[in-house]
Amino acid sequence: MRRGAVLFALTAASAFGGPRIVQLPGKSPLVTLRFVFTTGSASDPSDKPGLAHLTAALMGDGGTKDLTYKQIVDAMYPMATSVDVYSDKEMTTFVGETHIDNLDKFYGLMRDMILHPGWRADDFKRVRDDSINALRVSLRGNNDEELGKEELYNVIYRGRPYGHENLGTAAALGKMTVADLRDFYRGHYTQANLIIGIAGGYSPEFLARVKRDFETLPAGPADRFDEMPLPAKITHNQATLVQKDTRSVAWSLGYPIDVKRGDPDFPALLVAGSWLGQHRESGGRLFRRMRELRGLNYGDYAYMEYFPRGMFRFEPEPNLARHQQIFQIWIRPVEPPNAVFALRLALFELDKMVKNGIPPAEFEKTRSFLSKYVNILTKTKSAELGYAIDSEYYGIPNYNEYIRGALAKLTVADVNAAIGRHLRADNLDIVGVAKDTDSIRAALTGNSATPIHYNATKPPDVIEEDKIVERWPFGLRAEDVTVVPVETVFEN
Amino acid sequence: MRSRKNALLAMSLFAASSLAAAGIFPYPYTQEDLPNGLRLIVIPTDYPNIVSLFIVVGAGSRNEVEPGKSGFAHLFEHLMFRGTAEFPPARYEAELQNDGAASNAFTSDDLTAFHTTFSKEDLPRILSMEADRFQHLAYDPSAFKTETLAVLGEYNKNSASPASKLNETVRATAFKVHTYRHTTMGFLKDIEAMPEEYDYSRQFFDRYYRPEYTTIIVAGDVDAKKVRSMVDERWGAWKRGSFKPSIPVEPPQDAPRFAHVDWPVETLPWVEVAYHGPAYTDTTAETAALDAISRLGFDQTSPLYQKLVIEEQKVDALSAGPPDNLDPELFTVRARVKHEADLPYVQQQIIATAQGFGTTPVDAKKLEILKQHLRYEFALQLNNSESIAETVAQFVALRRTPATIDRYYDEYAKLTPEDIRKAARKYLIDRNRTVVTLSSKPGVGAK
Repeated sequence: MRRGAVLFALTAASAFGGPRIVQLPGKSPLVTLRFVFTTGSASDPSDKPGLAHLTAALMGDGGTKDLTYKQIVDAMYPMATSVDVYSDKEMTTFVGETHIDNLDKFYGLMRDMILHPGWRADDFKRVRDDSINALRVSLRGNNDEELGKEELYNVIYRGRPYGHENLGTAAALGKMTVADLRDFYRGHYTQANLIIGIAGGYSPEFLARVKRDFETLPAGPADRFDEMPLPAKITHNQATLVQKDTRSVAWSLGYPIDVKRGDPDFPALLVAGSWLGQHRESGGRLFRRMRELRGLNYGDYAYMEYFPRGMFRFEPEPNLARHQQIFQIWIRPVEPPNAVFALRLALFELDKMVKNGIPPAEFEKTRSFLSKYVNILTKTKSAELGYAIDSEYYGIPNYNEYIRGALAKLTVADVNAAIGRHLRADNLDIVGVAKDTDSIRAALTGNSATPIHYNATKPPDVIEEDKIVERWPFGLRAEDVTVVPVETVFEN
Repeated sequence: MRSRKNALLAMSLFAASSLAAAGIFPYPYTQEDLPNGLRLIVIPTDYPNIVSLFIVVGAGSRNEVEPGKSGFAHLFEHLMFRGTAEFPPARYEAELQNDGAASNAFTSDDLTAFHTTFSKEDLPRILSMEADRFQHLAYDPSAFKTETLAVLGEYNKNSASPASKLNETVRATAFKVHTYRHTTMGFLKDIEAMPEEYDYSRQFFDRYYRPEYTTIIVAGDVDAKKVRSMVDERWGAWKRGSFKPSIPVEPPQDAPRFAHVDWPVETLPWVEVAYHGPAYTDTTAETAALDAISRLGFDQTSPLYQKLVIEEQKVDALSAGPPDNLDPELFTVRARVKHEADLPYVQQQIIATAQGFGTTPVDAKKLEILKQHLRYEFALQLNNSESIAETVAQFVALRRTPATIDRYYDEYAKLTPEDIRKAARKYLIDRNRTVVTLSSKPGVGAK
């Protein structure tokens, strides 16, 4: 595979030549630093899910060898700076921004977080509690939508390196020790895994100093993600219903696709996904047919790349690059009486796109949108730098040029052919978060109609279409639907 | 007087800026009123290619004065996407799509803002489309009913979060008559009744979607003169209205209040402590003083955060919000507690800390560090045209001019430990206080 070969070449070079550097020099008095380690939860040992995340969390929210956490926070305070840390399957990111007045001081604090972590027991206890509470309370208890999305990934990648939540499981976190974290740090925080990103009005001497400092990390090894086992093939529709006392029903559905950024069909699928459901924009097909026309919920979107925390963000964070992606539809919470209809309508629309492709005029609009939307994605220096690092990882040119160039050459026939090659409206994994899982299971496995309930009159063509949608077949047998009590999700 | 440090920071940040912007807000801008009362603020920035347009309507949930009609300002955030005769929703969306524009809206207590960020060559067309929908919004009763369901969907997706419920309950307990009693989403029963309120919705639009309530903010790669003539041409014929709402005045609270929320699913318990505070001011120290208390008392560097979160590890989230609304609003402190048994202790610690500012003066050195923090915080926040426009929009809701930003930060620069002590003694007192707890364990709420 071409992709793997490129990645190997990059990491091999870096093992001898120090960390890779991505630079966006400029005149801005704001300097952004992004240290991205190409390691993450896909590198967690199988009996320690969550180890990569917890290691990064303790580095970011704990003290260093010389300073306590409190001393670091106090030192950052007058500069109004902080270091944000986040961790995904293949990347762990430390990012901070400072005014150039404070660059030396800020950099010193950030560097020591990464090169000289303090590994204190009291910080560890606090940060581990935070992770367990993030799983049990913030995700499982308080955010039905993200719960459904993350559970979809767990179901699709079961038994594979991607098959657990980045935060891990509550049980595994409970057993982890500081020694586990230090082991992980020694094995994965290497020069071969490091991409240093820097943007703004820094000097060449400053960059040379950063490079020197980080060359004290071990040279290797490099984490490899290009030969991971693929997820199991989905041979028929299957559904997981998370049972929870909640007002409405949240759905997520999808399946793996063999296309990622840099692959020949990626730009075409980006167009298809945007046309079907551009994130948090009102122009997508699902949004128009489900929310705008029928008032089913707050919004409905489609994705070709991982996009976590979408309920809080309009644009995705960079540095969540993955070798394996899924196609996903996100249906925001629906009132229970219309919940099964909403799911049927999403499948109906997906089926239509798969069968008929995208109309030529709409292709032009979507292409125009995406060509300009790249400016929005990279509107801050920090985002532009993040995208540049991802481009380095994927082995593609500057993201904006890559997308604009590829879109300019694309035809509607290319898009529709790519849809035909990679997308389908069956053999899906479906995850629902709902209170009355018994009646939803009955509706999913029975063949009876689930009509929509309106509060207003609708045009005859919509009523006609509803008659088809309300009976749209799921092809689910009783054994294809699993009900999971919420208390057990992310627990073991 | 502006502090010298402010001016120096602004100059070093944006050397190209003119002296007109010597305050903390570093960009020169123009502010002009059209004869119909519409206000235009143009802020050329040094970020290339992109333009960000914020249209601020000075009507938020504060303006929902009739009983049973909460949530209508927010409903218009939705209805404004329902189109006009010239630009039905499909055409409006198609145009935005062609332009690669990111378009959305938000509502708060005091404002509704519609924002679009796009490439500079598309400004004339987007200004035309916006002018059209503000002047000629047309939706029929059926589209109206459907949109009310999207609002209910929004309430539903928020309802899984205990923080939303906590906020609802604090407001409903602390306020008896003022419209800050309800959140911007509105009371659930009012949202459920919305589908039958088509006529009221037209009345709401007729009252507030008027030039004298509206401010257009354009930030980015633009020329102020050209923007003015575009706005004149497209928005000049918009007719001024005459409606002035009568917002009920909240009577003084006479004793502490409590409430408890039983939460149906597993969560960590929460406690929120709220005090009635003042309205936003840029001419006295009060708003700045309460902001300083929210930071010195409760942010990451505060002794209480250090104690509860880092040392004792009894709390995993602690935050405070000062009042900064058009009308007197709440100073709030909120904590998520790890064990139910610690709720009373954490509540007592928060109250002692907040009210302690009335007796013990703050350390002058800490106050100076805070002032330094604020200057960098503000500068770092303005890192693209969209966030510049959004920052201005928040202040425009209060005083309809970016000049209030410099005035407010000037008050902050002058702030003394005694100003802080005085504000605490006036507002952070027993009879002004409301405490709300939330837990999924039975029996916790007993007081």
